[in-house]
Order: sequence, then C-alpha cells, then structure tokens
Amino acid sequence: MKIINCPLNGPRNAQEFVHGGEFVAMPDPHRTSDSDWAGFVFLENNTAGVVREWWCHVPTAYWFIAERDTIKDEFIRTFDPSEIFRERVEFTRPEATKS
Amino acid sequence: MLNPSVVPARSFLYRELQKRGAALGEVNGYGCAMRIGSDAAAEDAQARSLGLCDLTPLKRIGFKGWATAEWLIGQGATLEDAPNRVYPQDDGARIARLSKGEFVILGDLHLRSTLPDRLGIAWSINNASGCFRVPREDASAWLCLSGEHAGAMFAKVCGIDMRPQHFANNQIAQTSLARMNAIIMRNDRGATLAFDLVFDLASAVYLWNALLDAMTEFDGKPVGLEAVRGLG
Repeated sequence: MKIINCPLNGPRNAQEFVHGGEFVAMPDPHRTSDSDWAGFVFLENNTAGVVREWWCHVPTAYWFIAERDTIKDEFIRTFDPSEIFRERVEFTRPEATKS
Repeated sequence: MLNPSVVPARSFLYRELQKRGAALGEVNGYGCAMRIGSDAAAEDAQARSLGLCDLTPLKRIGFKGWATAEWLIGQGATLEDAPNRVYPQDDGARIARLSKGEFVILGDLHLRSTLPDRLGIAWSINNASGCFRVPREDASAWLCLSGEHAGAMFAKVCGIDMRPQHFANNQIAQTSLARMNAIIMRNDRGATLAFDLVFDLASAVYLWNALLDAMTEFDGKPVGLEAVRGLG
C-alpha cells in the first residue's frame, strides 16, 4: 500500500487521493496571449525530477500541494495551499474593447 | 407501533429496520426505530457489545466557508482551532470541525439541544459573510456504531486504526469506509466506545448492510435509539 501524507488528515492510503496536475503560476488572463493561456490550461511540462503538483484528498475534497520526485515516485513534502496563496485570487472583468 | 406512512419523514433505512422487527416511534417528525426486537435488556447489552443504530432522524446541520468559525463562536458555540476534532457543547450537541472552515453540528440523542435549530434560524446568506449552509440534514445519513468490538470491526472496512488505544475520543477520521467516503467521529457514550458515522444519504442502505455484514463476525446486530440512549 502506498501512503500519502495529507496536510489535513495525516498519512492515508494513496487510493484516497487524486492527482490534480502540475502546479504552475497562473498568468494574468487579461494580459497574456491566447497561446500562453492555452499552454497554462492544457499543457504539462512533464518534468523528470522534483515537481510541485496539486493533489486532492477525495473524502474531504481537500486540495493541497505536493513536492514529488517523478523519477523515484517519492513524495518529498505536502503542504496547505495557504503557504503560497496568502489571499483570495480575484478575477476582474476584462476592459471592454472596441471592435 | 407507529405506521411509517403517517409521519412526515422517514429515514432511507426504514424498510431495512422494519425487516428486522423495529418498533418505530416519532422523533423529530421521522419514523425512528426506537427498539428492535422484544428483549430490551438483550438489546441494551448488544449496544455495549457491538450495535449499529440509525440516527438519521436526529437533528444535524452543516456550515462551511472561510469565516464560519467566527460566525459559530458569535452564535455562542465553543470550539478550538484544531481540525478533525469534535468539540462537545454544554447542552449535549457536538460540533465536529472537519477543516479550518467546515463544520458539522450534531444534536443530542434526546433532542434537548436547541443549537442546530438556533443556528439554522440565525443563519442567512445576507448576515453571515463567508459562511455557507451545507444541507447535512437532507444530504447526509447518520449512524452510530457502539460497543467494545467496534474498534476491531473497523479493521475489516477501513484503513485507519480505530482501536481505542490508537484513536482518541473526539477524534475524527474522514476516510474510505467500505469503499465509501465517510466522516467517522469517536464520540464515546458513557463508558461505551462509540462512533458516529456521517456519509452520503443516498448510499445509506448499502453502507448499513455492508457494516452489518462486517459485524457478523463479532455477533453485531442493529439496535434502536433507546438502546443507544441507555449508554449514557
């Protein structure tokens, strides 16, 4: 049985978790190009080595961030997203553009 | 015996309970299994050995959101910062802190606590910024598993060590139980080991039967509300 250490619930069977993709900083959706935004949404770097990823503990619907070595498939550290997101991310309405 | 069709509400488990000879009584507008079988003393002993009771008719309410803890404290609730802990209240209600911002409030077995009702009346989307209702009374079933064999029985259906020497009273595990997501809270009743299980209401019949199947090895049986009330 593979064990993942959930920051909220402690060590749990890996079957209780789902992988949520790589953690990458979100570009400003109103200032980035369509190509860069599509890259943020759809593309993965697929790095061989230590990466940061989103994981979810399904029974609690709790999302957290993990540092994982993809070569050894070992979890190095898991932590609450509040370590990175100090305040709520607000999305503003884009400025109206004249056609 | 109460005819379940004359009360406003029924637990999803009422047919399962009737099959086992439950005597229904009205509790909180529900047809609730008060006793199962005719030997009350044997049923009380069953609850101390290994019993499963449907508490779905009792009062419960849920809230979540970044400002929920502050709102609950403002309503007179007593709680601390640590998540995955149950905080017993003076009037018999229990507040389960599932995370920094999510709470389930369980009423007591005798419906003496007014806290779930008071919170439901006090809350509105306009006066509780950062605090939102979770419809636990409509979405979550509630069972009580009690008795000295409960800790050992969990080893058959759950990956967490629930034996009393490893899982403290008022501790919570949110985990997989018989392949379902469930909230397991150790809430001893009197001197008897007891766990409250809160999980998806629509799967109540499945989990009820899965647990009774796992309990067979320890001679576990369903018990009525009066047997659990008798534990203290």
